[in-house]
Formats: sequence, C-alpha cells, structure tokens
Amino acid sequence: MLEVKNLRKEYGGLTAVKGISFNLNPGDIFGFIGSNGAGKTTTIRMISTLLEPTSGTAILNGADVRKDPMAVRRMIGYMPDFFGLYDDVKVWEYLDFFATIYKVPVKERATVIDSVLELTNLTVKKQAFVQSLSRGMQQRLCLARCLVHDPSLLLLDEPASGLDPRARAELKELIAELGRMGKIVIVSSHILPELADFCNTVGIIERGELLAFGPVDKIVQEIQPHRVLVANILEKADEASHVLSGLPSVLNSAYTDDGEVRIEFAGDFAAQAQILTKLVQDGFQVTAFREDSADLEDVFLRLTTGAVN
Amino acid sequence: MKKRFRDLFIDNPMLVEMTRFRRRFLTVKGTQSANAAVLTMLLIIYAGFVLVVIQNCAVIHPIILVFLEITVLTIFAPMMLYGSIAGEREKRTWDLLLAAPVTKAQIVAGKFMGALGALAIVSLFFQVPILIAAIGYDEQKISWWKLIEAELVAFTFALDVCALTILFSARVKRGLMALGAVLGILVTGIAIIPLFLSSVGMASSTLDVPCYLHPYFVLTHLVERDPQSPSGIWGVPQILVYVALALVLLAWTENTLNFPENEVKFIPKGDKNA
Repeated sequence: MLEVKNLRKEYGGLTAVKGISFNLNPGDIFGFIGSNGAGKTTTIRMISTLLEPTSGTAILNGADVRKDPMAVRRMIGYMPDFFGLYDDVKVWEYLDFFATIYKVPVKERATVIDSVLELTNLTVKKQAFVQSLSRGMQQRLCLARCLVHDPSLLLLDEPASGLDPRARAELKELIAELGRMGKIVIVSSHILPELADFCNTVGIIERGELLAFGPVDKIVQEIQPHRVLVANILEKADEASHVLSGLPSVLNSAYTDDGEVRIEFAGDFAAQAQILTKLVQDGFQVTAFREDSADLEDVFLRLTTGAVN
Repeated sequence: MKKRFRDLFIDNPMLVEMTRFRRRFLTVKGTQSANAAVLTMLLIIYAGFVLVVIQNCAVIHPIILVFLEITVLTIFAPMMLYGSIAGEREKRTWDLLLAAPVTKAQIVAGKFMGALGALAIVSLFFQVPILIAAIGYDEQKISWWKLIEAELVAFTFALDVCALTILFSARVKRGLMALGAVLGILVTGIAIIPLFLSSVGMASSTLDVPCYLHPYFVLTHLVERDPQSPSGIWGVPQILVYVALALVLLAWTENTLNFPENEVKFIPKGDKNA
C-alpha cells in the first residue's frame, strides 16, 4: 500500500508541490494528470526518493521515503520520462546490469531476465544492442528494467510520449496486465482518453495542488451530476426547448442559435426514448439525438485553468 | 568501518562497473569492433617498445620506463573516466542509478574500482619491459625496493588522477568539461608550474620544495639516490600522500553527489517541467 501524506516540495521561493495526499492499494492503476509544470514529475521523483520532500512523506508498505529510502528503492520501479539507456550494451546485458544492482540472486538472474523479456514481448531482441531497438521497444525495455526486481510500485512518468498508436496500445495492455498482477502503478500522462481506458483511479494536479482524486466515473459524476442529452433540430429549437422543459424527467433545457438543444436529464432509458418520441410527435425535425457524456478531458478542462507555477 | 568496507568493496553491486569497463575497452565485437583496431595497434606499438628495451636494456635505467608509465597512466585515466558520472547524466541514466538501492558512496567506489582494474592491466603491461631493463641494466646495481617504490609512486599518482577525474565528472554537467578541467590541472601542475619556476631562476635544489609531490621529481630523486640509502623523504612519503589524497578526493566526490538539490541543479536548461 502507498500512503502519500502532505507531500510538499519547495525550490527557493517556488512551491512545486503543495502538500498533496492520497492512498493507493495493490492493483490500483493511478493516472496522474496535469499540465507541464503542474508538479507531477516532482511528486513522482519524491516518491521514488530522487528528491527529498520539504515536508510530508510517502510510505510504501511501511517504508518511509525519508527515513528508509533504501527499503523504498528496493520496492519501486521508476521509469522516467526519458529512456536512460546505455548505448554500448545488449538488451540482456542492460537488464543483467540492473538485476545486479538490485541484487537479484545470480542463479535466478537468467530466468528473471527471460520472464521480463517475455512479459514485455522483447524475447526476440534479447541479443540485440539497445540502440538498434525502435522507440516503442526501447520504452518496453525500460519497463522491463523496472520489473527485474519484481517491485510492488511502478512509477511511470509519461510512458507513452513519442510512441506510435500501436506501441501505445501495446504499452497500455502491458500496464493493465501489471495492475492485474497486483502492482500499484502510477502513470503520468497527457493523453487523457488513454488513461481513462486502463486507470481505475486518477488524480488531477495543477500548480502543485491535487484538485481531484478518485475513480474516473466518480470524478466525472462530480463535475456532471446529471446526464446531458443533445438534440439537433432543423427549425424552432427555441420552441422545442420550451416543450421539453415541461417533461418531468427534464431538469433543464437550453438551446443555441444553430439548432442544438441541450437537455439536462434525470430519467431512465425509457424516459430518454419518450423525449425523442415527444419531439417527433410535436413535428420537430430531429436530425440527431445523442447523449453528451463527459470524459476525463472534460473533467480536466473544467477543473484546471492552465496556470503553471 | 568493517561494514562500510564490505558495502563498498565486497557487497557493492556497482562493482559491475568493472565488467562494463572491460566491455567498453576490451570487447572487440558488436558496437565495440573499433576496439579491435585500437588494441591491435597498441599491441604492435607495445611489441616494438619491448624489442627496443630488450636491445638497449644495458643502458636504460628501469625507472626511466616508470616515467613513461606515469605519463601513459596520467593520460589514460582521464580518458577512461571523464564520463563516469557526467556521462551518466548526459545519457540520462543517472536517475536510474539514484533510484536504485545503491548508495552514492557505492556508485563512486564502483566507478573507481572499474578504472582501477583497467589501470592495473596497463600497469602490468609495463612490468615486462621494466623487468627486462632491471635485469639487463649494467651501469649501476638496481635496488629492487627502489623499483617497487617507483612503481608505487606511478600507480598511486594514477589513483589521484582517477579520483580527480571522477570528482570533476561529478561536479560538471558535460563529460568533456571534466576531461578539459582535469587535463588542464595536470598540464599546469606537471609541466607549466615547474617550467615557470625554473624560468624565473629557481635553482633545481630549491624546486624540490614546491615540487615535492611532483611524480617526475620523485622519480628523479629515486634514480639519483644511492641504491643502498634508506628511502628518506622521496618515495614512501609521496606514496602515502597520494593514497590519502585519492581518498580525500573520493570522499569529496561522494559529498558532491550528496548536496541536497543535486538532481535539480542538473536539469537541462530550458526544461521547465517540474
């Protein structure tokens, strides 16, 4: 379990992280969302023991990053937002180097390297030099490096940046698999729709403050408590909006000049069907009728202002 | 103390650096295939050098060869180590080491031990011609103890050069900056200062004081000293000072890596992402 308690980091007069707190359990995949300069990387670096917090702390399975950083390091796999590869070594040598550093027993090393290569789908590249790998493969190799010592927490800083769609899809599947293996995974990313796909928890950070934290659905529900339906009507959208306002399941209805009627709605699917029926029966020419569901991107844009430290 | 020694020199996972040094400088396959040409050329030069020594061993004082050894080691050590820490930063692998369960002292010790192994190999190659010259030299009886002293002067001075290079590599952002700084210090200390002092009219006997730790001066005194006389102020004292200096420089390096915002100071310019 990871407990982050009032984590704060100051650089001179600048406060990069303003006392953030959250808890994560094994199997949680946490999407850490924020603009550049919001404090994501600083938070991740403090949890990974690379930066000392100004105040507050993070505790991983009972080990405190401030009091026992070595114990924390043994339990984390940190993947920064850059590759960090030695260019004169083969794939297996690179993994062997880190397996040695993490004190993986000599007898187990070969098996461990084979298994992480298999997990990251790099077995065929075992004897290749790291600089000969594609960007996506290098990214997977970095992830394989994080896994050689079987960490309980993975800190992945912008793991999908610069990857093509296929490599992203593969990485996404791999991260989801790590969550299923019971690891805590913290992923920072700008690609919000992808995070929503595989993260069960997200946190939105701006100017060092955690603005929202929790399951994706819950956060979306918080900013948009009711469902919103959108109907596009050829003529008389104002009249249509007025008619719909009288229906019991409609909380509010508004229209725009281009014929769009937005309906805040608190009913079930049958009530939703009745709205469309009513519009058609009353002679309105409906060209489209759909639900406008908020997503992580809407939440992010709604909660944040784009300001940086 | 015993535990610290064990952590640094026995249970230190960073001793894998010795293997990395071997791969980088002695592997002749894959990306290191250029090493084959360099090593072949060096072996040819070495064979020629040994032949010259064999032919002229009667007139070559073995300590003269130690002069050459010091020169080679002094050039070789910075070349090997200038990127030891700065290079990790440039390749951005430094964070990976810092996030791993190794102490900064273990990292420094690992880098140093890696270089030590390579220096020992170079030094070993010099032992063959030195031994030939020591056996064949007939102008004066060679003291084996004096020869060992000269060898230790060469090797311990090389340790200082290694430690100095690692220190600079830890303190600067780019490896080449470390190389430039170390070579600058060495050229100044070994050549420019003695030349300047002698050019301003300082007598060779008074030069001994400012050049007390100068390895070439130490070797000159060892050559000139009566083989039967005790070591005195030249030889062993410098060896001890060199060893102590290497330890101080390594401790300083560790301390450099410990300054609190080390990572922040080395964030690339223009990278505003916190």
